[in-house]
This record gives sequence, C-alpha cells and structure tokens, in this order.
Amino acid sequence: MSWELFWLLVEAARLTILLSVVSIGVFGFLIGVLVCAGMLSDNVWARRAGRLYVSFFRGVPLLVQLLLIYYLLPSIDLDVPPVAAAIAGMSLCTAAYQAEIMRGGFAGVSKGLVEAADMCGMSRFDTFRRIRLPIAVRLVLPALTNEAIMMLKSSSLVSVVGVVELTRMAQDLAASTYRPLELYAAAGFIYLVINVVVALLGRGLEARLSWGRT
Amino acid sequence: MSFDFALLASFAPAIARAAGVTLFLWVVCAGLGLVAGFAIAVARRYGPRFVDRLLFVPVEIIRGTPFLVQVFLLYYGGPYVGLSLDNMPAGIIALSIYSAAYYSEIWRAGFAAIPKGHVEAASCVGMTETQTLFRIILPEMTMLVLPAMVNMTILMLKETAILSIISVPELTLTVSAIGTQYYAFVESFTVLALIYWALVEACGAAGRYAEGRLARYRFA
Amino acid sequence: MTAPETAPEIPAVRVSGLTKSFGETRVLDGIDLVAARGAVTCIIGPSGSGKSTLLRCIAFLEEATGGLIELDGQPLGYALGPSGERTRLPAAAIRSVRSQVGMVFQQFNLWPHMTALGNVAEALVRVRRLSRKDAEARALLQLEAVGLAHRAGHYPAELSGGQQQRVAIARALALEPRILLFDEPTASLDPELTGDVLNVMRALATTGITMVVVTHEIGFAASVAAKIVFLDHGTVLVEGPSTKVFGKPRHPRIDQFLETYLDRGAATLL
Repeated sequence: MSWELFWLLVEAARLTILLSVVSIGVFGFLIGVLVCAGMLSDNVWARRAGRLYVSFFRGVPLLVQLLLIYYLLPSIDLDVPPVAAAIAGMSLCTAAYQAEIMRGGFAGVSKGLVEAADMCGMSRFDTFRRIRLPIAVRLVLPALTNEAIMMLKSSSLVSVVGVVELTRMAQDLAASTYRPLELYAAAGFIYLVINVVVALLGRGLEARLSWGRT
Repeated sequence: MSFDFALLASFAPAIARAAGVTLFLWVVCAGLGLVAGFAIAVARRYGPRFVDRLLFVPVEIIRGTPFLVQVFLLYYGGPYVGLSLDNMPAGIIALSIYSAAYYSEIWRAGFAAIPKGHVEAASCVGMTETQTLFRIILPEMTMLVLPAMVNMTILMLKETAILSIISVPELTLTVSAIGTQYYAFVESFTVLALIYWALVEACGAAGRYAEGRLARYRFA
Repeated sequence: MTAPETAPEIPAVRVSGLTKSFGETRVLDGIDLVAARGAVTCIIGPSGSGKSTLLRCIAFLEEATGGLIELDGQPLGYALGPSGERTRLPAAAIRSVRSQVGMVFQQFNLWPHMTALGNVAEALVRVRRLSRKDAEARALLQLEAVGLAHRAGHYPAELSGGQQQRVAIARALALEPRILLFDEPTASLDPELTGDVLNVMRALATTGITMVVVTHEIGFAASVAAKIVFLDHGTVLVEGPSTKVFGKPRHPRIDQFLETYLDRGAATLL
C-alpha cells in the first residue's frame, strides 16, 4: 500500500471525524437532552412525543433514515449539500439513542439529592440543570462513549448519499486501483484507531469527572 | 408534492417477497451468530489462555470497524484471495460473522455475571462440569442476557439493510428500486421506514413479553 | 393534652389533626404537635411509627392527606376552611412558607459533583442570587462554624460520614432558615462519628433556631430537647419535657422501646 493512497484515506478520515464530532457531540447531544427532557416531563404529550421520537429513530435503519432525508429535503425546496443531509441524519439518529441512555441516567440520580435541592429552595429548572443533568451524564458516560463509537462506525453509511468520507474514499480508490483488499483493510485499520482513541478519551473523561472517588 | 402510495401498493407482492428475504437473512445470520458467538464465548472462558488472546483479535476488529467496510472487504476483496462470492452468500457470511462477534461478547458477559457461589454450590453437591453448565449456568445466564440479546437481535434486523448496497434483493434495495424507477423517492423511503419500524416494534414487544414471562426466575 | 404555653407566642410549627395514608396504609392518624420557637423538639418512637413521614410532611416533601400544618402561623400547602375543607394554596405561597425551613437528611444528600464549599454555596447563588464570590465567602463562614473550613475544597467522596453530615448542616444553615428539620441525622453514621454531629447540633440549639429532630439518640433527646414527642403507630402516645416522658411511672410502651435502645444512651434512664 503506497503512502499516497494511505494519506488520501487519512484525509478522508478527517471528514469522518468532523462529521462525527458535529453530529454526535453537538447536535445529537443537544437534541438528545431535549428529547430526554420531554420524556421526563410532566406533560403527557411531551412524554408521548419523546417516546415516539425514540421509537422511530431507533426502529428504522440509519441507512433508510439517511436516504429519506436526502430525498425529502429537495422535495420541500430545501436544496442542501449532501453533507448537511448526512449531519441531519446522523444527529437525529444518535439523539434518539442518547436520549434513551440519558433517561436511564436520570433514573439513577438518587431521589434524596433532588429533595435536598428542593429543601434549599432551588427551582425545578435549576435542579435539572445543576444537579440532575450533570450527575445523570456522569452515570452514563460509559454508555455514551459506546454510542459515540457505534455512531462513528455508522458514519460509513453516509457514503451512499455521496459524502466522500473514509469509506467512500476507500471505495473510489479501490475501484480505480483494483486493490480492494488493501484499501478496505487500511480503512478498517483507520476506523479501529479512531475508535481506540475515542474509547481512551471516554475513560479519561470518566476519570476527570470522578469527583474524588478512586 | 404528490404522494403516490397507490403505486407502492401495486407492488405489494414484490415488497412482500423482499420482506421475506430480509427476514430470511435476519433469522439465518442471527441464528448462526448466536451459536458461533456462544462457541467463541465458551472457548474464551473455558479454554486455554492463548485461545482467549487469539480470539480477542478478530472479535475486537469486527466490533471496531464498520459493517459496511467488512462487507466490501469480503465481497470486493474476496476474489483477490480466491473467494468469489455472489452477493447473497457474501451478505450471509458477512452478517453472520459480524453478529457472532457481538453475540460472543454478550455471552461472555453472561458467563461472567453468574455468581461464583452458584457454581461452587453445584460442585459441592457433586454435579459434573457438563451438568453444571446445562442445569445451572445456562438457565441463569438466559435470564441475565435476554435484554441484551433482544437488543442485539433487533440491531441485526436493521443491519440487513446495509446489504442492499451490494445489491442483495432485500427490502431496502427492492423498495428504493421501485422509488427510483417511478421517481417516487419520498413515498418509497417513507414506506420503507414504516415497514422496518413496524418490524422492530414487533420484535421489541416480543422481547418484552419473553422477559416478562421469564421474570419470575430472576434472582437479582 | 399539652401544657399551657407560658407566652402567647405563635409556635414555630403547629400540626393539627394531621393524617397521611399511602394507598391503603394509614401512617399518620391524627397528629397534633406544637414545636415552640427557638426550642429543640425531638420526635422519637419505634420503626414504622411515622416519625419520618411526619417530618417530611412538615418539610412538604410528602403531602398530608388531611389536617393542617402551620409554620410561624402561616398554613403550609393547604388551608383549612371554616367547615374543614382543605384548599391547596398557590405555588408562590407554598414556596414562601417553605423558604423558612431547612432540612438535614439521614443520607446527607450532598451533591457528589460539587466540593463541600460548592454544596454550601450553590443555593446562595441559585436562590439568593448572590455572586459566586459572595456566596463562597458566606459558605466558607458556614463551614467554619461546623469546623470544616479546612476541607472546603474536598468532594463528598473524600469526606467521612460525620464530615459530610456537618457539611449538610452548613448547607442548610447557609440559607438562614428559622426552622431546621433533622431526619435521623446520625442513623447512617458509625458510632464514633455521631459525636461530632451531635455536638454541632448541641451548639446550634443555643443559637435560637427552632429545631425539630427525629432521632434514635435517646441520650441526646433527653439532655437537649425542651419537648419530646413519642410517636407510636401514627399517633402521639406521650409528649412533654424529658422528665415527663421518661420519668417513672412510665408508659409500658416506652419501657419496651427503651429496652431496644440501651446502647444509644437509654441505659442512663432505665
């Protein structure tokens, strides 16, 4: 495998990483918190909406979601580049998984901690933001890291809507150089490295947020 | 925008056939994966140390790389090492290997979760290792791993969609082909999404039913 | 039958005819209780007598199913109409009445992701709207008062149980409540650590704050409380000063109860 080919793959991997960070870490997380808040709210319609969202985006394969968004947007006069459809598809999908994970996290926050906030006079909103949310996220950090890794692998599917990320680059190069084995193996290797890094980052974050626990 | 769902309705037989292929792929691959995964888990836990370390490598590679890349490697790269497969066999092999790796981890976690005391109690009353495995470990494990297994199996159903990319005639390929041919993309992908959603919800409900029925055996 | 109050003061806490049921189970069965301003009132009794439930109703962490609670003369949560019907008060009124009350929990309930200083300062920032700097300065003073200023930067996981509970007391005091409730504050502590917490509570008792304490520490109750309320099966069996509740001749139920608490200071009374 020539160095130039490998470098082309690495460059494409940068797009994979960028896509993943934006979709999983930013939009996916924010939408996930919103959906989770809905599932935990007192409003029965908010709860239903949240559960419906999670059910749909976890029940439909990501590939189908991506294709649907890719063709849906132009038909409602929203002509966006494929990358936008990719980010939208990945964000909406990971948000559903993250919402469900965080819901489990909130269930793990001891009732007493919330009662203490109540007795200190803190509002429901402040209690959510300052007490329940940080503790819940910390509880589910391993699960969130896992989800990030799964989504990163799934980012390979955006190749079918024309985004030239790592998998698509490997495909194109394999077609033109007739060396699929090396190229897909190299692409797999790069994914593996990225995943190991993410796993290590996750564990580092867990350690940093351990608040005095050994 | 006009919704031409009637068009899709006229293709109902073809879609039903494609659904059959999807379900066939799902059942065969999940089944093979469950069995192979179990064998891997047993080998890693009860076999010699070097087997555990040896199997660690492929399992982690398969779990650490995208399924699509594995499919491409097998289908497009296979011929270069003398493995020329049609898309259907390639799809079945790829998905079976993929699910075996994931299932093996669930089985392993199940084995590890059985309290040592239960196994010790079994040996104290004179049970052989095989008896212990079948009468104590496996039944207890089933209850423990059921939620994770159901979860993974549902995931496998969704992964079958990826095989459309190498033109395996399952649901995604068939319905999107109809959409492409008649320029009815939104309708076709919407219907496709709804079909998968219904299948997944049905599986989820079946899984919850099974968990409920087995709940009385829970010891935690 | 309560002794007549010597001064026509409005009591800090007055509970009248309080009932509380959880589904079919009636946990509180018509409780009347008065906690005088500035005094320590201890609620004792066997497990399941409803002591914690009573305290949590006063804290409004549970809502009573009947009866009336008044804090400094103001009705809490529900007002009782002339013909005995209860109407729920508006949220703002409830909030304002509750702001005079602080609570110390058996499980401490310190927020694990904040330091001791952070725990004490948090409500000052969120509720009293102080700047972070001012809040932390005030919080540090509170921690000094309970003897833990030197551990201000530590997380709860790095503190012993007794230290955590003292931080919890500091946190409750930071908001300057008029009434401080204690729900079995030493029950989760190793015996060697209860002393530190009880000493802080003894010191607090001299500051003029009203304290209502649910406790198993009979020695503490007998020596510090102005009034002891003995609860059994959801009703008040005996109440009054220590001499009345523990003095002989004793109610047989109290004899029975004290037998089980010999190691908590009851030996001196038997």
